[in-house]
Amino acid sequence: MRQYAMRRLAYLPLIIVVVSILTFFTLRLPFAVDPALLYVNQNTTAEQEAEIRRELGIDKPVLEQFVVWIGDVVQGDMGQTFRSRQPVWDEIQRRLPVNIQILVMSILFSTIFGVFFGVITAVKQDTPVDYGFRVFAVFGQSIPDFFLLILLIVLPSIWWNYAPPAGGHVSIFEDPWTNLRLYVPPTLLLGVGTAAAMMRLCRSTLLEVFRQDYMRTARAKGLAGRNVVIKHGLRNALIPLVTLIGAQIAALFFGSLILEQIFSINGLGQFFLASSITNDYPVVQFLVLYTAIVVMGINLIVDLSYALIDPRVKYT
Amino acid sequence: MATQAAAQPLDLAYMPRERSRLQRLGRVARQHPTGVFGFLVLVMFVFLGVFGPWITPYGPNELRVGTPLDGPSLQHPMGLNQNGQDILSRIIAGARVSLIISSAAIFIGASIGSFLGILAGYYGRWVDYLVQRSGEAFAAFPSLVLYFMLRAALGPGMKPIIVAIAIGALFGGNRVLRGQTIIESRSTYVEAARSVGCSEWRIFLRHVTPNVLPLVIVIMSGAVGAAILAESALAFLGLGVEEASWGRDMSGSNLSIARTGYWHVVVFPGLMISLVVLGANLLGDSLRDIWDPRLRH
Repeated sequence: MRQYAMRRLAYLPLIIVVVSILTFFTLRLPFAVDPALLYVNQNTTAEQEAEIRRELGIDKPVLEQFVVWIGDVVQGDMGQTFRSRQPVWDEIQRRLPVNIQILVMSILFSTIFGVFFGVITAVKQDTPVDYGFRVFAVFGQSIPDFFLLILLIVLPSIWWNYAPPAGGHVSIFEDPWTNLRLYVPPTLLLGVGTAAAMMRLCRSTLLEVFRQDYMRTARAKGLAGRNVVIKHGLRNALIPLVTLIGAQIAALFFGSLILEQIFSINGLGQFFLASSITNDYPVVQFLVLYTAIVVMGINLIVDLSYALIDPRVKYT
Repeated sequence: MATQAAAQPLDLAYMPRERSRLQRLGRVARQHPTGVFGFLVLVMFVFLGVFGPWITPYGPNELRVGTPLDGPSLQHPMGLNQNGQDILSRIIAGARVSLIISSAAIFIGASIGSFLGILAGYYGRWVDYLVQRSGEAFAAFPSLVLYFMLRAALGPGMKPIIVAIAIGALFGGNRVLRGQTIIESRSTYVEAARSVGCSEWRIFLRHVTPNVLPLVIVIMSGAVGAAILAESALAFLGLGVEEASWGRDMSGSNLSIARTGYWHVVVFPGLMISLVVLGANLLGDSLRDIWDPRLRH
């Protein structure tokens, strides 16, 4: 187990290096958007343009830029953004809490509701309760998340003349009430699709587990129904659920961008979109790296957790 | 006269078989009413996409066909937007963009992805390794960066969107197919084919592939909903095409107007996306039940 974890951990930096080199060169492909064009108009002379390119550090051949960039990154310098000329890390740091909070809260909500309703529908299989929630889940998987978020803004304003708060991020540590009022409703809705997927998966895995012999044994020796379902059933259904959470992370980054857009919150998603459009190399490079690390780190945790959930899983 | 007389016995001979096939289809349809509903929704979607321009009551870009921002009425069942454009006409026009992008993306992505998945499962070794690792790298690489690269390479318009969604569909289904192929390739009939001297290519193309093909259709139908969602999300972010599309009509100034109480401007395009994706998902679920009970959730 420990050996497996070490090998996976050693593998991680390798992938990160490959992804960042890949990003570095794809961003600078000859046909990609030239970031200097944003600061050039028809009145700019050739010398001025050369000066802008020199300031941005994109006047040299790509390979030379690469050497400079590697040198900077090794020393922990992520460079400055092209637009604001501020250190990338400062710009990221300000927006990081927004992104983390959206990811954590929507995963939390979707897991809680997904597992809760998954257990209920599995226990009450083929009853109206089961059918009702399953119909609900099919709808939940079909409605685009941005439509749900738009409805959250539009409908209350018609019905109750109330608009949920938007914009103006405050730290959860400084003012928890304002923070939660801003984040709880949209992250709840952002998690609906994942919750629906999780509910269906939880239900089908549980139904399979319920048919196992050890479940019958557990009931036969007189365990209370609730204990059988939670301790024996749910624990054996956890592996596919944890896998699904890992797979949803990448999608939630996109969801976070949409949430920030609709609720005008200045977070990483918005920053990423704006920087991608103008091809702001340092920002895009950093954020691709960040996404890759988060996605792969969570998938590593997911893989390692299999052994914790199910002692039969052995890594060699 | 003579030809008719000759044709009659033939007709009678074929009648029972035709009826039984129809009956079989009817039984499957009765068992899966939601699948039938999904199928009908998709038929409507394709119909609107193909014949849209001939059935829209107004031109989708025609300005001031009525009082701007008027709510739903008999003349304009879905109301008008802030430019006085008929929303129903824009929704019918938007079906075409959605249909072209999603069908092209799935056709390209699912066919290449299925081929790679079956090949990786059957051949294994370095092909498997390469396909699997590329899938992992793709999952860690933000799809927006990929889209911007494609847009720079292929120019704005439908092409980069189609390719970006196709790449997503490519990696979406091939893991399942790979697993199923590994199971199939160890079964007795493959061994039998090998023992009578079939070449590996022949076994791959004539024996293994046809046996996992139903799964390809299941994966494809499941990918339709995801493709339509992806297309509308890109359009919503302002990264879509210039033509009228459902996602685009829910963003920008339409969204600002809707915030002030004119709900119909954004709600109808949203309902339309939801309906079509719902139809695709229901059809996909039913096909999965019919063809592959193992995958049932």
